[in-house]
Amino acid sequence: MVSLRAHELKFLSALDKLDGKASVEQLISEAELSDAAVMRTALTLQEKKLVKIHAEPQVMVKLGAEGEAHAENGLPERRLVKALAASGGKAELDKAVAEAGLDMKFKQIALGWILRKRWAVYDSKASTLQVVDHLLHEVSVLEGNDEKLLRYLHGKNQAPLNVLSPELQEAVETLKKRKLLTTEVKTHRVIEITDSGKQTAKQGKAVEEVTQLTPELIITGKWRTTKLQKYNIEAPVAKTWPGKKHPYLSFLEEVRAKLVTLGFKEMTGTSVETSFFNFDALYTPQDHPAREENGIYFVKDPEFGDISAYEAAVENVKATHENGWTTGSTGWQYNYSIQEAKRLILRGHGTCLSARTLLSPKLEIPSRYFSIARCYRPEVVDKTHLSEFNQVEGIVVDEKLTLRDLLGVLEKFALEIAGADKVRFKPDYFPFTEPSVELSAYKEGYGWIEFGGSGIFRSEVTLPLGVKVPVIAWGLGVDRLFMMRAGVEDIRDIFSQSLDWLRRKEVT
Amino acid sequence: MPTIDVACGELERLLGWSWQGDLEKLDWLLAFVKSEVKVYNEQENVASIELKDTGRPDLWSVEGLARTLRGFLDLEKGPRRYKVDDSAVEVHVDAELKTIRPYICCSVVKDVKLTDVVIRGLMHLQDKLDQTYGRSRQKTSIGIYDFNLISPPLSYTVAKPDGISFVPLGFEETMNLAEILERHPKGVEYGHIVKGHKVYPILLDAERKVLSFPPIINSNDLGRVTEETGNLLVEVTGTVHQTVLNTLNLVTLALIDRGGKPYAAAIRYPDEEFYAVKQVVTPDFRSKQVDLDVAYANKVLGLELSAERMAQCLLTAGLGVEKVGGDSISVVVPCYRVDVMHAVDLVEDIAVAYGYNNIEPLWRDLPSTGGVRGQQRLIDVSREFMVGLGFQEVLNYTLTSPESLFDKMNREKTRIVEVANPKVVTMSCLRSWLLPSLMEFLGSNQSVEFPQKIFELGKVTLLDDTKETRTRDEEWLAAATTHPNASFTEIKSALDAFFMNLGVEWHITETVHPSFIEGRVGTAIVNGVDMGVLGEVNPQVLEAWKLENPVATFEINVQKIIANKLGK
Repeated sequence: MVSLRAHELKFLSALDKLDGKASVEQLISEAELSDAAVMRTALTLQEKKLVKIHAEPQVMVKLGAEGEAHAENGLPERRLVKALAASGGKAELDKAVAEAGLDMKFKQIALGWILRKRWAVYDSKASTLQVVDHLLHEVSVLEGNDEKLLRYLHGKNQAPLNVLSPELQEAVETLKKRKLLTTEVKTHRVIEITDSGKQTAKQGKAVEEVTQLTPELIITGKWRTTKLQKYNIEAPVAKTWPGKKHPYLSFLEEVRAKLVTLGFKEMTGTSVETSFFNFDALYTPQDHPAREENGIYFVKDPEFGDISAYEAAVENVKATHENGWTTGSTGWQYNYSIQEAKRLILRGHGTCLSARTLLSPKLEIPSRYFSIARCYRPEVVDKTHLSEFNQVEGIVVDEKLTLRDLLGVLEKFALEIAGADKVRFKPDYFPFTEPSVELSAYKEGYGWIEFGGSGIFRSEVTLPLGVKVPVIAWGLGVDRLFMMRAGVEDIRDIFSQSLDWLRRKEVT
Repeated sequence: MPTIDVACGELERLLGWSWQGDLEKLDWLLAFVKSEVKVYNEQENVASIELKDTGRPDLWSVEGLARTLRGFLDLEKGPRRYKVDDSAVEVHVDAELKTIRPYICCSVVKDVKLTDVVIRGLMHLQDKLDQTYGRSRQKTSIGIYDFNLISPPLSYTVAKPDGISFVPLGFEETMNLAEILERHPKGVEYGHIVKGHKVYPILLDAERKVLSFPPIINSNDLGRVTEETGNLLVEVTGTVHQTVLNTLNLVTLALIDRGGKPYAAAIRYPDEEFYAVKQVVTPDFRSKQVDLDVAYANKVLGLELSAERMAQCLLTAGLGVEKVGGDSISVVVPCYRVDVMHAVDLVEDIAVAYGYNNIEPLWRDLPSTGGVRGQQRLIDVSREFMVGLGFQEVLNYTLTSPESLFDKMNREKTRIVEVANPKVVTMSCLRSWLLPSLMEFLGSNQSVEFPQKIFELGKVTLLDDTKETRTRDEEWLAAATTHPNASFTEIKSALDAFFMNLGVEWHITETVHPSFIEGRVGTAIVNGVDMGVLGEVNPQVLEAWKLENPVATFEINVQKIIANKLGK
């Protein structure tokens, strides 16, 4: 049994009553449906094979504005002959026209047709018009076909030509010549009920079918008798762009969480740093190339910071640079400048935070620290270099630490943070650590990547800062790890300016 | 870190070992000296080798590399012994140089077979030493001459800028010193080193022929070395005696490794207090002796190596061993190992020779608890709120330009943290607020589907005279929404949701801000404190960033808001 919605059933019943076949116009009045609804319903019902729609061309007759006016008031010749009869059958033309209430522009038309229809004769010498005798008393009765047609069409917008009698069809031609009406070809749709349509119309029970399940339907329980319209679930939908965290920052969050799990405490500090903490405290001599214009950003104004709070440490560092102080080193053998130590720069690495932590009275032994620091270097930005980048690094402080611990820390990072399968160590160099180790991590599918640099801080670093136990310093190449995991080949994409890329970037 | 170009054929010949075209094998060997092949030019069989260790200039020549690497190949043990024959020349130093460029060291190397490859290698070494170890000739600079054309003794003296003329290397005309600084490319490049002085250093021979104008340029007549040159004079001038001497040693040693016979020079300094020693004989190949405590070394390594095992490692690394006691080793450090300044430097050499990958890693359980700074959790939560409100997080550079921070935002310029040596104007200062970063981001995405909603939680840097670094960083949060109907209501609603979820009460007061539309901008107030701004962006600003849709935005001091909340 085909289930129908209420208006569909109404349509079908109406059609059945109209002997199973009707035009759209008929159905509009019969089924009390709107123009558009009729066709829509007809199409739905046709899909369900309950009706058939026949379409055929049809000539339509339509009155023009003048025709409509004549249909209302009568043709000019009719009005003229009536006026003549009223004035005794004979009258002067102009007078009769005025009497008929006709506009003078219709005088010639009225005269022409009145003569053509032989309703009156015209005396051109006297300019008088006289009704033919036999019409004198019957002027209003004898209606012509053209007038019948006008009456039929009066008030109708249009009518199909083929419903007219042959006489009226002939009148169509006449009136068309008089430019009172027009004809045009239109597609005419006739809807015919099928056998199963007839059956359904008689037995059918309407089920209400709706698009949207509304609160009303739910509350009233109407949903039980309601059919929810079937969707085209394969139709494309508009894209949704949810808010998301930045993929690189999410990755750093993950790294931070893992470091915390491994027992590391976070260190923080400022982007602007004194050369003392960025270089001197890390045993980088004051004429080192990394401290030149191409190695570090200098602050324009103010040029110098304040290191007066660390007077003792500054003196120790100065002595260490100059002659090794009590560290057992020869030192760098030059004259150290305290003024140079105050020079403000944008920090070039996160290791300055480790130096500050070592100097802090809050330093805990044993302990593990880390930092995620934005760092700056005057590089020309390209596929593999940034002028501004994040460094993840830190320290481990304990009396018992050795090179084995250093390797142990690195191996732990490779396994826990990079998810590596195996590790490899190589000698490395930093001015502030000895021995120094480079870590490479291997992961199936990715191959070997350099994942970190590290070392044991030189005594020239730790002793002047008042730390008498070994300190392991480490840094992780997290950018490279991120790029590998996210499938990014250009390091600039870490700071991507493409909203589209961020929107489409899947979770890694 | 220096990168040197090495003729592979030369290196293999000097090593007495071939990697047979397998670059991985070469890299395996180079790893012992913290180096690796960066580029290999197959056609010329030349490798660009990057040397990480800036403290080992003895490795910056093919001769020096071979000298050390032979140890790791077990082809040679311990340091090379070098001898110098007696003085061939004297050099007299003028007292006026003490404030200009006080030191000079000299050597003569005879019977060197100079081929094109050797000359190129020598020039390369000279350049690397000048640039890196000599700090762009400030600290030291090297000159090499045809000794046969020179009449000793030499005179290292001074001349007025227009007091002396000669034909500088690479030129054909005679110039005085002032003209060289003005017109010779090397004069333009290094002139600043001497320009502050009334007189300039000059090196002359007994006939007052000019050898060079240190540290600028050699003479074209005496200072040009060709394949016909057999006897060389090498001189180094500079400001730090030990560095000058080290440099001379390194160049002389490279020439000796090429079969040259070295002769010394006697440097006679004036009778001035400034010069502690009045006569120095150079080069000086004497080694240093350092006692290494075995227990100390094992404590650093975390191993239990015997003194004998350590001694083997030291020899492999090219160091000498004089005496091996039970708990101490007397280590001989050759003159060219200028990096050794502490016992720990020897310990590392032991570890490298022993092999890092032969040492078992150890993860020690330390009683340390992990943790993040107090505010981190709420900072992360804040980012989550913004994501929940449908905003996409973005990450921008903190380096920007005053134009972006002020001009394009319709604001008056205020004092901010600018850098003295920017690479590009667009990265010449630290941002003092976030909104310009967001505007720039939106400007790059005008062809991307709207609505666009973005946020950034990041650092701004402000000047603060009360701080050690004269600045302070603050973490701010900025969000922007842009589409044809973006409005104040929308952004206020978002900010309200943010504050509500953070459990912070706030209200808004009217304000005037040139970046925003008048009457559509307010200050966000929490506990009577100004915490930021919200509003619809001024169309003038939109135009400056080439934005075609209205933008509503807020920017708040999230760090202060959280501190306030936690303080309660």
